Amino acid sequence: MLENLWNNILDWFEDRRERSSLIRSFNSSAKNAFISGVAPTLLKAKISKGNREYRHQFSNWRNTGFRIQAFAGRQLSKNELIKIAEVILSDEILVRRLIVLGWDTLEVHTDEGNYGVRFQLKDRLSLPKF
Amino acid sequence: MNSNVLQDSLKIVNKSIKANNIEPYEHINWWFWIAIAQFIIIIFLIFTLISKNNQSLKRKLKKELSDNTIDFDNIINSSFNSTNIYNELKVKCHPDRFPNDIKKNTIAEKLFQEITENKNNIKRLLELKKKAEQELNINF
Repeated sequence: MLENLWNNILDWFEDRRERSSLIRSFNSSAKNAFISGVAPTLLKAKISKGNREYRHQFSNWRNTGFRIQAFAGRQLSKNELIKIAEVILSDEILVRRLIVLGWDTLEVHTDEGNYGVRFQLKDRLSLPKF
Repeated sequence: MNSNVLQDSLKIVNKSIKANNIEPYEHINWWFWIAIAQFIIIIFLIFTLISKNNQSLKRKLKKELSDNTIDFDNIINSSFNSTNIYNELKVKCHPDRFPNDIKKNTIAEKLFQEITENKNNIKRLLELKKKAEQELNINF
């Protein structure tokens, strides 16, 4: 019983560490791609509130959104935002990791205002039942 | 001056307590606190039972994922540059371009299928481009 509780506490800390590590890796790659000219837009990932309607069995209690902000210096079109989201959603390993780490919503936003697209992560992966 | 006021007010309070038979220190109601503790333990047990299955499944999935690494460079590159390569490949490697050569048509069919599956993965698309150059003799 106590061991289980202890494991849960350790898991929580490990998840926190992995979440921030994943975001740091993403941001670092995005920054390098922008500097080297591979990507014309600077992307920045951060944790957001998420959408409660997209919850799944591994969802965190709060802050369940994986938000990518695109700093393009202009208003990106909806298709451009969808493309960024599609690339992320097509990577099955990344989607699995996002789900396991407690995220349930993928958001892609522009740098200005609240204009963006939002996707449900569990749509892309059949989660095992228990 | 202030101490006199304080002492007077204390005397008045003591008098009122005596007049109303109020005990200055009430006994702690232990049964109440025991009931609350029991309630918390029950809630905790229910929560643990619910989350137990979830946690074991999560650990299993995590173990599976621990071997795989995520290529963020490829993801970010694909976000902006994969569309052009995909559009080029889907036109040049379309099986309808090889109607007379059965062998090339079969290769193109497989290649086209793979291109469609990996349209958001620039790394794989570049590999397929090389394959198309070698096997279908296409000049890009």
